[in-house]
Amino acid sequence: MSKVMDLIGLELSPYSYSVDKVKIKEFAEAIGDLNPIYFNEEAARQEGYDGIPIPLTFLQVIDMWGGYSFMEKCHILGLNPVKILHGEQEYKFVKPIYANDVLTVKGKVDEVNIKKGSSGGMNIITLKFEYHNQVNELVAVSTNVTIDRH
Amino acid sequence: MLKYYEDVIVDSPFPVLKKDPISRVQLVKYAGASGDFNPLHTVEEVGQAAGSGIIAHGMLIMGMASQGVTTWIERKYIESIRVRFQKMTFPGEQIHVIGKIIKKIENNRVIGEVKAVNDEGEVKVSGVFEAMLLSKDKEG
Repeated sequence: MSKVMDLIGLELSPYSYSVDKVKIKEFAEAIGDLNPIYFNEEAARQEGYDGIPIPLTFLQVIDMWGGYSFMEKCHILGLNPVKILHGEQEYKFVKPIYANDVLTVKGKVDEVNIKKGSSGGMNIITLKFEYHNQVNELVAVSTNVTIDRH
Repeated sequence: MLKYYEDVIVDSPFPVLKKDPISRVQLVKYAGASGDFNPLHTVEEVGQAAGSGIIAHGMLIMGMASQGVTTWIERKYIESIRVRFQKMTFPGEQIHVIGKIIKKIENNRVIGEVKAVNDEGEVKVSGVFEAMLLSKDKEG
């Protein structure tokens, strides 16, 4: 059995990170998404939010800045940084997440599949992350599929 | 913006969100904002060594797709989004975000499809999202 299969069930050390409104603004601006709900609390409240909400893909910020850097993640999972591709990404939102929330993230390797192809094989690694807020409510779940080409 | 379940017309396309061409500065900004410092997105030599040249963060394109979704349906109604990264995106390319509702399900929920494509229609990112809309019945 390949060593990569040993990764299944591997739990990453949890990390915590607070959702900062300045970071939300910076993130939305980098995407070019100028929806006022991400920039102005008053605008967000007028639209029915209890604070500045996060953009749909903002949890990446929590993972990259609060968790493991790209290189650290490659090291932990035994991935070759120049051979990997981001295959799929999913975010499921259970409860709203706003600026000033503090999220604690638990991640684990959920699945590993080895595929063989004509141009060489690949390992397909599925990571699952759960995000809890400061009152320990589950607020979101993300799934990340990384493809490591042999 | 789509708000009520009763107003949903399955397979009717949403207005296309046309993004500005992706610049290298935008990739630097996205690297800093997201914390994804994979040098393939910002360092010329790394792009050359990889054989592709500098490529955009897949997550930036997913972010643009998500922007499209939240221009069609308010952010607070979106319950999930899942995408597959299909093709690399390069600086200079312009993303168009297209989508539609593909299914109405129970409890005022709808399933939509979203795609980020370039000028030639090449699909960079494709995905599905789920939203829970309001019902006119319950408003009365």
